[in-house]
Amino acid sequence: MTPADFVNLIINGTVEGLLIALPALALTLVMAIARFPNAATGDYMTIAAYAAVGVQVVLPGSLVLAALGALAAGAAVSLIFYFWVFRALRGRSLVASLVASIGVAFFARSVLTFFVGHDQLALQVPMARAWNFGGIRVLPLDLVVAAVSITAMALLFGLLQLTPVGRQMRAVADNADLARASGIRVNRVLVVLWAVVGLLCALGGALFGAKAVVAPELGWELLIPAFAAMILGGIGSPAGAVAGAILLGIAQELSVPLVGPSYKVAVAFSILLLVLLLRPRGLFGTAIAAR
Amino acid sequence: MQAYLIAVVIIALIYTLLALGLNLQYGYTGLVNFGVVAFYAIGAYTSALLSLSGWPLVASFPVAMLVAGLAAYPIGLLSLRLSDDYLAVVTLGFSETVRIVIQQEAWLTRGVQGLPGIPGMFQFLGVGKYAEVATLATLVACNLAAVVLLTHLVRSPYGRLIQAVRDDETAVETLGKDPARLKVQVFMLGSGLAGLAGAFYAHTITYISPEQFLPLVTFYVWIAVIIGGPGRTMGAVVGSFILLVFLEGSRFARDLAPGVSEVQMASVRLAIVGLALILFTIYRPQGIMGRRAQ
Repeated sequence: MTPADFVNLIINGTVEGLLIALPALALTLVMAIARFPNAATGDYMTIAAYAAVGVQVVLPGSLVLAALGALAAGAAVSLIFYFWVFRALRGRSLVASLVASIGVAFFARSVLTFFVGHDQLALQVPMARAWNFGGIRVLPLDLVVAAVSITAMALLFGLLQLTPVGRQMRAVADNADLARASGIRVNRVLVVLWAVVGLLCALGGALFGAKAVVAPELGWELLIPAFAAMILGGIGSPAGAVAGAILLGIAQELSVPLVGPSYKVAVAFSILLLVLLLRPRGLFGTAIAAR
Repeated sequence: MQAYLIAVVIIALIYTLLALGLNLQYGYTGLVNFGVVAFYAIGAYTSALLSLSGWPLVASFPVAMLVAGLAAYPIGLLSLRLSDDYLAVVTLGFSETVRIVIQQEAWLTRGVQGLPGIPGMFQFLGVGKYAEVATLATLVACNLAAVVLLTHLVRSPYGRLIQAVRDDETAVETLGKDPARLKVQVFMLGSGLAGLAGAFYAHTITYISPEQFLPLVTFYVWIAVIIGGPGRTMGAVVGSFILLVFLEGSRFARDLAPGVSEVQMASVRLAIVGLALILFTIYRPQGIMGRRAQ
């Protein structure tokens, strides 16, 4: 492997990591505020990716409109399942919401496949050749993906750190009872949470669909890498989720020359096990999250 | 028709073994095992590969059970010291990893082509009805043994202890018991049962391939346990039969809805499984057989 190959793998891994960071952020926010691992996260991505394809079928050529369609679909799906399922399970055990989220995942995906089938679809993106800098290749599409992902994260961190509702979200994450006692309307915070979760998933789904193909298993296959990224970064820590996702993306890419591309999920799983063995609270985790 | 019924009941009994194992883990001990299919696959491949290399089934079945149980040990050890949700994530990852390993390591498992020609059970009775009835009888005996053992187990002091782990871990700790150790033991025991179910499956179907071990199987078992009522041994039995009646019945239902393709019917089946998981969790967490949760 030449140094240029190595750099290429790092670049690909970083872009992949920035993609995984979006569902990982969605997972970690739900974990921090609603307090369960949401196994439906991946399928919200899938539905949003299909929505983007659907918008392009009706209005060919417009990427921005397709992205907006994905965002609307992601937020809608996330809020529907919050109002229908997860709100009813508030106050019940973590396991109840977790099992229900698997039900949501299967239900959402199979309603989708009932109508659109199992064929692989593609988002129309402008084709562009990779720029070549002495063997180091950069795809313009990857730059767009990275830029969009970074912008979304900046907006999210702005929301969490600079706005009143963000402060309330962090307060609920710290201590829900104390937050309620100090006059924070937890219901409103949860609606904002699930809307944000839907938007993050939608963006992840649309970007992943643009980079690869849109298929019914798109999101489900990203669920385990996203879980691994969340735990690597420390459950409940947004900055940790991003760092964990980028590390995981790079590790997955670097493993390809060694074990082949089929073992990506297995690599994510091995990293997950290593973290549990060596540092269960993750890179940025608090003691509470890991008990 | 008779042969069809026997085949369906055999599959239902295999699912019952899986559900009994999961019910011990989740229903009684509160362990969220989202990787049931991994231990099922390990049992199936272990017994299939051993018997293909000449082992008699009386030896390959116990080894399949043992290997599946032992595979649960490191997974349990790593995740069960931590809070409940870790086991769910780790077992889900484990089941996908096992499937990929089976797919990729073709030197051992023949990969996606699958393993054909696995010796059937009771081959000395010839191919056909007698062998099938004998298989059925063996499965009934194994299920009965499992039900009796589990019923005794959960009523024993050990059984009360694992239920206490589910209900209040701190209380168990103050009694000087180690919840993590109990959880690992139960996790291994239930996974061993899944391994046994896998062995039965391999030698009944006589052909196994990675695509038979999708996460979907795990959630079929979950829905059986949840419908039957977690923490009710007979619930797992009833739930498994309801599941199979539903899965088989939906084949006939397609004849009534000719506009729906086979692929769409698969989507409908899956949607109903998902919907049942949601609705039972919200409205009837104790299942159809269970009492109201304590």
